Amino acid sequence: MAESSAWIVFISAIIATYIWRFAGVMISHRIEANHPAFEWFTCLAYGIIASLVARTLIIPSGLMAEVPLWQRLIPMLFAFVGFYMFGKRLLVGIVFGEAAFIFLLLVGGVNL
Amino acid sequence: MKDLDTNLQALLTGIRNAIGVPALLLFSAMTGFGSLAQEQGLSLYISILSTVLIWGMPGQVVHVELYGLGAPLIAVVLGVAGANARFMPMTLSMMPVFADSPHNRKWNYLISHFISINTWAEMLNRGHEIRADRRVSYFLGFSTTCMFSGVIGVYQGYVLFESMPEMVSLCLIFLVPIYFGLIMSNTVHPPYLLAFVLGCLLGAPMHLLTPEWGLVLSGLIAGTMAFLLRNWLNGFLKSKESNG
Repeated sequence: MAESSAWIVFISAIIATYIWRFAGVMISHRIEANHPAFEWFTCLAYGIIASLVARTLIIPSGLMAEVPLWQRLIPMLFAFVGFYMFGKRLLVGIVFGEAAFIFLLLVGGVNL
Repeated sequence: MKDLDTNLQALLTGIRNAIGVPALLLFSAMTGFGSLAQEQGLSLYISILSTVLIWGMPGQVVHVELYGLGAPLIAVVLGVAGANARFMPMTLSMMPVFADSPHNRKWNYLISHFISINTWAEMLNRGHEIRADRRVSYFLGFSTTCMFSGVIGVYQGYVLFESMPEMVSLCLIFLVPIYFGLIMSNTVHPPYLLAFVLGCLLGAPMHLLTPEWGLVLSGLIAGTMAFLLRNWLNGFLKSKESNG
């Protein structure tokens, strides 16, 4: 019983996700490719993803929640500085951010 | 991007471009998901299928957490739908990339399943550099590679996460906001940048206000404000340029 209900919940979660993709394709087939609505939808996508990034950074769950907020925000700042100061290279930004993160973990004295 | 004469070449180029930071990102994000799933008592089988069939990490996390809590089905459905609602605007904004491709439009219903933040940003930023009739192959190569590394990530997170040093786990988890923060902020289009900034500011407070629909609500406000202000924003930047 527990096994089958796990599958029912799982399949519902799959449908709850795919329905958005399906709606997106369906609507896109009904409007012109250069319709201004597409720009609005892209703005919405940027807004939602940005909220998601901010939430994972500011209100994390699990292990990350044990790291103080400033030890997450300052490395994020470093990542942006590294990325935009050195030719917008993703890897440079990531190295800057992770290096600052590790440094603060080591110095900040988190009890891990 | 160099000429892609055949679909096979486009597919292989997509695979090659995904191997590196995009694949690593999916791997580490899904490592976190795998360990969470293991903690919450989801079977390894469903955990891996979740990455392949849901393919949207926030919704996957909500599914696992609510399942672990034994929440009612309707709560799981609404929670997952809220967490993954971004796929509608993302799918909509990505479809014009494939508009000039010769494939049957019905395939778009399958293609849309492979959209993730990663693959969406890749196609929006670099799609126009690829010949219109090769974009679908490129996209499928890129996204299936990301998905494959995500599956490996789930497996390794599920099986090994406990025994991994916490410093390594934390660095893997921290990679996710860095990566998405950087690729999303890197847009030349002012309204998108404004939507990004507003979303960053609204994200956390809105989540506290309503955990289920906070993402959608703050995205709706940020995106719509940016869209409405786009003419003003473009004019403002132009006048600044001509003055400076």
